[in-house]
Amino acid sequence: MSLVVANGIAHRFGNELALAGIDLVLDTGEHMAVLGDNGAGKTTLLRVLATALRPTAGELKIAGLDALREKRRLRHYIGFVAHAPGLYPALSATENLEFFCDLQDVSRSRAPEALEMLGLGAVARRRAGELSRGMQQRLAIARSILHEPRLLILDEPDASLGADAGELLGDVMRDRTVVMATHDHALANRLCPRTLLLKHGRSHGTPTRLSVVK
Amino acid sequence: MNAFRVAVAVARKDLVSEWRTRELVPALAQFIILALLIGNFAFQVDSRNATAIAPGVLWLALVFAGLVAFGRTFTAEREQASFEAMLMTPASPVAIFAGKALAAGAMLVLCEAALLPALSLFFGTPFSLDLVAAVLLATVGMAVLGVLFAAMVARVRARELLLPLLTLPLWIPIIIAGATAVQAAFGLPGSYQEAIGLLIDFDILFVVLTSLAARFVLDE
Repeated sequence: MSLVVANGIAHRFGNELALAGIDLVLDTGEHMAVLGDNGAGKTTLLRVLATALRPTAGELKIAGLDALREKRRLRHYIGFVAHAPGLYPALSATENLEFFCDLQDVSRSRAPEALEMLGLGAVARRRAGELSRGMQQRLAIARSILHEPRLLILDEPDASLGADAGELLGDVMRDRTVVMATHDHALANRLCPRTLLLKHGRSHGTPTRLSVVK
Repeated sequence: MNAFRVAVAVARKDLVSEWRTRELVPALAQFIILALLIGNFAFQVDSRNATAIAPGVLWLALVFAGLVAFGRTFTAEREQASFEAMLMTPASPVAIFAGKALAAGAMLVLCEAALLPALSLFFGTPFSLDLVAAVLLATVGMAVLGVLFAAMVARVRARELLLPLLTLPLWIPIIIAGATAVQAAFGLPGSYQEAIGLLIDFDILFVVLTSLAARFVLDE
């Protein structure tokens, strides 16, 4: 069953075309890597799929719902890790997650579970601003799975994660549909059977093992 | 989705962050005391004119403190990208707005806790419950308008300039009613009851209008 169906997704920033008619069908449980140079449109595509950015043209359906009209309802299904961790530096790791449990309307007991899963149990009481960049990234990933999303959208999640990035992300991605932007082709190959290569906002050929996008 | 839970969580998060960093309230309280001190010397206050001058100094200090307090409501979150993370949840933008306004209003109330006794000290004006009620009622309207416009200008480069330009015209009715209430509380001519009634009316009007507008301002 298709979880994500995008038809002709396009986006402009002023006169600049960031995405030019991307078509995409993603089935439940599939993992897809989005590859491309800086400025290719990866982040824009991910933000559109996460409903953080409204495309200037095209249609997007997620879990059968129109993503342009019902984005707030869809956010129960979507977990998003943006380029910046977006944490509250004065709050502890646990407090950061508990705050987002309240906003996601899930039990606060999810916070310690997510911290343990991401290997942050030992720093649970430390302020987010005092954590290393890698730990902050783990905390941002933990936040994205608090509400057990069906669709996980990860913008360069391996940034600063260190040597065990693949293993960690593999655990997080298990049993979920995932779209992940990365510059690490080896990691993409390891975690994602499908790959979408973007160039100047358009989908292009097959960099490694690609089966994409129709 | 429990809007009350969201609003309380947002307000608590802002207040805990402020308590731990102490970035805003101590500086604002200091600013308020300095404003009163300058007012005290600049107007050559004596026992005959103190009650006439004090309300003006009080509202000037409160307006500028409010602009600084509300202007910072979204700035740090925008810079740290945590605001987008908050908006990416299913939580209602209106509940998020209510939480932000609650926290910003509470911080201004903390500053008022320094302002009102200091006003009595520097100007020798009577400290009364009527005075406290007038200032608190004005704070409600100022907070909801200030936070709404702070959200609107948070992404704009000239936000420090735009916020007062947008906010001050809509604060004027609140300040006029508040000033009348404070003057009456100090024993000067004017109906306290009428002024307080007006403040309550403005509060209801601005709370309803800003809640309706918050959905559109915060959502996109």
